[in-house]
Amino acid sequence: MGIQEQYRSEAAELLSSGEVKLVIGFGAGSTADRRRPLFARTPEESEKLVLDQNCIANLTTYLVAGGLLTDGKKVAVFLKPDGIRSLNILIAESQVKAEQVVIFGFAIENNEVTPLEGRSISDFAKLGEKLRTATPPPSVQEEAERLEAMGSSGRFEYWKEQFSKCIKCYACRQACPMCYCRRCIVDVNQPQWVSTSSHTLGNFEWNLVRAFHLAGRCAACGACDRACPVNIPLRLINYRMGKEVKEAFDYFAGESSDQNPVLASFRQDDPETFIL
Amino acid sequence: MSESFEPKIVAFVCTYCTYAGADLAGTSRLKYAPNVRIVRLPCTGRISPMFILKALQKGADSVLVSGCHPGDCHFAAGNYHARRRWTVFRALLAFTGIPEERIRFSWVSAAEGAKFADLINEITEETKKLGPFTQYQELQKAIETQSSY
Amino acid sequence: MAKIGVFVCHCGENIASNVDTANLVRKVSEHPGVEVCAEYKYFCSDPGQETVKRAIRENGLTGVVVAACSPRMHETTFRKACAEAGLNPYMLEMANIREHCSWVHSDKEKATEKAIEITRSLVEKVKRNNNLKPISVPVTRRALVIGGGIAGIQAALDIAGAGREVILVEREPSIGGHMSQLSETFPTLDCSQCILTPRMVEAIQHPNIKVLTYSEVEEVDGYIGNFKAKIRKKSRYVDIDKCTGCGDCIQKCPVKKVPSEFECGLGNRTAIYTPFAQAVPNVPVIDTTRCTYFKNGKCKICQKTCQIENCIDFGMQDTFEEYEVGAIVVATGFQIQDTTLYGEYGYGRYKDVITGLSFERLASASGPTSGVIKRPSDGKEPETIVFIQCAGSRDPSKGVRYCSKICCMYTAKHAMLYAHKNHDGRSRIFYMDIRAAGKGYDEFTRRAIEEDGAEYLRGRVSKLYEENGKLIVRGVDSLLGKPVEIAADMVVLATAIVPQPDAREFAKRIGIGYDEYGFYNEAHMKLRPVETATAGIYLCGACQSPKDIPDSVAQASAAAAKVLGLFSREQLEREPVVASVSDATCAGCFGCVMACPYNAIDVRDINDRNGNLIKQVADVNPGLCQGCGTCVTFCRSNSIDLAGFTENQIFAEIMAL
Repeated sequence: MGIQEQYRSEAAELLSSGEVKLVIGFGAGSTADRRRPLFARTPEESEKLVLDQNCIANLTTYLVAGGLLTDGKKVAVFLKPDGIRSLNILIAESQVKAEQVVIFGFAIENNEVTPLEGRSISDFAKLGEKLRTATPPPSVQEEAERLEAMGSSGRFEYWKEQFSKCIKCYACRQACPMCYCRRCIVDVNQPQWVSTSSHTLGNFEWNLVRAFHLAGRCAACGACDRACPVNIPLRLINYRMGKEVKEAFDYFAGESSDQNPVLASFRQDDPETFIL
Repeated sequence: MSESFEPKIVAFVCTYCTYAGADLAGTSRLKYAPNVRIVRLPCTGRISPMFILKALQKGADSVLVSGCHPGDCHFAAGNYHARRRWTVFRALLAFTGIPEERIRFSWVSAAEGAKFADLINEITEETKKLGPFTQYQELQKAIETQSSY
Repeated sequence: MAKIGVFVCHCGENIASNVDTANLVRKVSEHPGVEVCAEYKYFCSDPGQETVKRAIRENGLTGVVVAACSPRMHETTFRKACAEAGLNPYMLEMANIREHCSWVHSDKEKATEKAIEITRSLVEKVKRNNNLKPISVPVTRRALVIGGGIAGIQAALDIAGAGREVILVEREPSIGGHMSQLSETFPTLDCSQCILTPRMVEAIQHPNIKVLTYSEVEEVDGYIGNFKAKIRKKSRYVDIDKCTGCGDCIQKCPVKKVPSEFECGLGNRTAIYTPFAQAVPNVPVIDTTRCTYFKNGKCKICQKTCQIENCIDFGMQDTFEEYEVGAIVVATGFQIQDTTLYGEYGYGRYKDVITGLSFERLASASGPTSGVIKRPSDGKEPETIVFIQCAGSRDPSKGVRYCSKICCMYTAKHAMLYAHKNHDGRSRIFYMDIRAAGKGYDEFTRRAIEEDGAEYLRGRVSKLYEENGKLIVRGVDSLLGKPVEIAADMVVLATAIVPQPDAREFAKRIGIGYDEYGFYNEAHMKLRPVETATAGIYLCGACQSPKDIPDSVAQASAAAAKVLGLFSREQLEREPVVASVSDATCAGCFGCVMACPYNAIDVRDINDRNGNLIKQVADVNPGLCQGCGTCVTFCRSNSIDLAGFTENQIFAEIMAL
């Protein structure tokens, strides 16, 4: 039995026994190689679950949808390793209770889907350690390095051009599992820290704030980048932030569910070479 | 970069150390460049990255953020939290092309009036060398001309 | 509509000579919202303040900016003036055009320009100031002292002596702490018990002190003036109110070979025991891990012996008591480091290698050898004793980096006591430096050397082994640059002082900070040495850092003075600069809870009418909040704000620059 069938039947069992109230997985999409999220509430619906190399979305986003978990009931969710990182962060930030989530873990390597063992987040402790040492995608790394080598004026022009495209649709925010705030800073108007008009200055501010708020919290799932309708390379900024917290604070976001959030904690001997 | 360029520098400081250090520079009658405008906060822990962005929007050519030395924070640990944020935010600014030389961080204690004066002079000099931060200021100008339609 | 009054002070010539005040007044008058703008020679003077007050009343001002000196100088003065004129005192801002402007710039034109900008930006800020009220909190004038060693006893006696109630909690069966274990004390050589026991008795008999021994602080809630402490009274199995302390039960207890903690294992105790003869209270406890009844269900000899009905109760349970207190003094003391980590010194391997504390017991008249210094191995009196100082202290590689402070003095004392008890004995002391700063201290160590023949060798010991009943100590005399080998009968290690094993865990429980070793942090090392960063919690004794008796006692009295200062008022008034959370927008990530340096933020449930949980939000306790604003900056959704420095105020201030 393939992994898709195995997870389907397990999901059906969980639903029919009442163990979980909902299974969040993938279903067929608008084209052959696109998948859309599927919310199965009955064993029958779980028959429509799809699991293949096109299932790339980070479904933890749906866990933080308003009120889903307040009744204390369990939910099952299909997660790749980046999703497991996200889940760890959400647990550490009190958004999700570990015991409420059943995980159908899988990895996609060379277009092959392989199952990840374990159903509860505590089963994935080793995975966090493994991911910490994994190398980021070379394309992202190379592009970031190319920018670093540019000099600040060149970088400014690069980002100015990128951000000038932004239409402030906030799809990046919508797609991100970490953007669970009930009210986003950009929607605060007393005072209006971030200009809401989509002029380049306001876009600069929005994108900087977004990246700062994700520093040490981004699981590098790429959802924001994929969601951006004007193709701003958000992955580069997120990558740079992840690199910074790792190098400065030896911190890898989502490594475990009992991590102290990196910007809510400190060490007395944190590096400070830049401070005069 | 003309001779007459007078940079605008905005300093965000904590009241217990750097603000008091600046007071000491005053009572000691130390002279320093008049280009700095000080915004007083209770603690470096209160200094949000948003402040820096707004100062830039208002035409600051350089920004200084300063507080108590590690271990001396009046609020025990506010400056340790601030230091982490600065580390991350500074990297972010640098990566998006806002030069590190324009956003400066320092520890100035209530006893370091001379350090404060020297620091302001140094930042003023260096900012003069860098010239106005036109790249960012043009973004603001673009809005102003747009809205005058 | 905002009606702001701006008052530009000349400060004599201090400001006026370098800032064109007339120009400043003109420019600021044009600023929107500025109702009046006046200049004067000295606004801080009585007539100056009258001008401000009159302007407030006559123009119905909603805010005031005084452009003058630093707020650190005269903010209080002008706040008072505002209040007297009927304006909320927090509707005032000081524009610092003296320290930050006229005094530091020589170009008058530029200084004036700067003064104008500073003043304008504060006009914008003050427009957004809010009426604030000082927070007043009632003070419960009862203190909790945690730890019944000499520091805790002293603090309790001082507070109680001034007429305030004290709850003194000690986790051991008796108060007295480490001092009760000492033989004689430097630099006067008076017997420790002789000076301590009267204090112990005074404490337990004091009408204002409630002594809870064999008890531990489980939980502390609340804030300055209003703490709630939950205390676990561990079951002694002996009724403390009925027991007369006759000691018959101890005499009859069949379990006689329990190594006594108080005697550092050099003597034995019974299963039902008091730690030492002068224990206060003189009421035994049953050690359930050793008691035959608790192990086998049979015995109860103590109960049969006891003349008092129901005094010994094997079914006794731990009980909990809650006390409301206004201040807490932490005096939890220290322990000595486990010296077995020094394999080369053979501690634990050789019976005659002992710690300094064990030596105290050997030298003590009430100790296991009645004050005769004997080898633990064979009971012989040693002829040569080697003392090794810094056995753990000042040793970053194996021990601790700091100096334990008391060891130089007690080692000199040990050499002296030994010389007094054994005239032919030789003391050889390996030391790194002799640190004898203190009243009468250097004289004391000189006496040990000059009158009592203590032989000091500057150097470290590298190896120690047993040969023919002797302990061969190999080391180096670094002053002579030669190796030395000494055949000793006993070796005494000046072990490092380290925090209590549960110091960190306890600090977290009561909400105070600690350093890398686990010693408790003072609010400021020089200027607030007996306060912790948590208002209302004070420190004394060796829980803060290694200390000798005089220092501990001095600090205890200082802590008591702080407590009494707090208790001199019924109400506490605090600056209203505190944070608050918006329930509607808080996302409940609780990063602020972790970031708060004062543990001032809690998680609060929000329930619907039927009591079902809707969500959880962060909640700032204004009694604990000190107003640093770290949480405000942390909060991604901008759901926390800080009174006096709100987001609106700062935004306006920056945008006016």
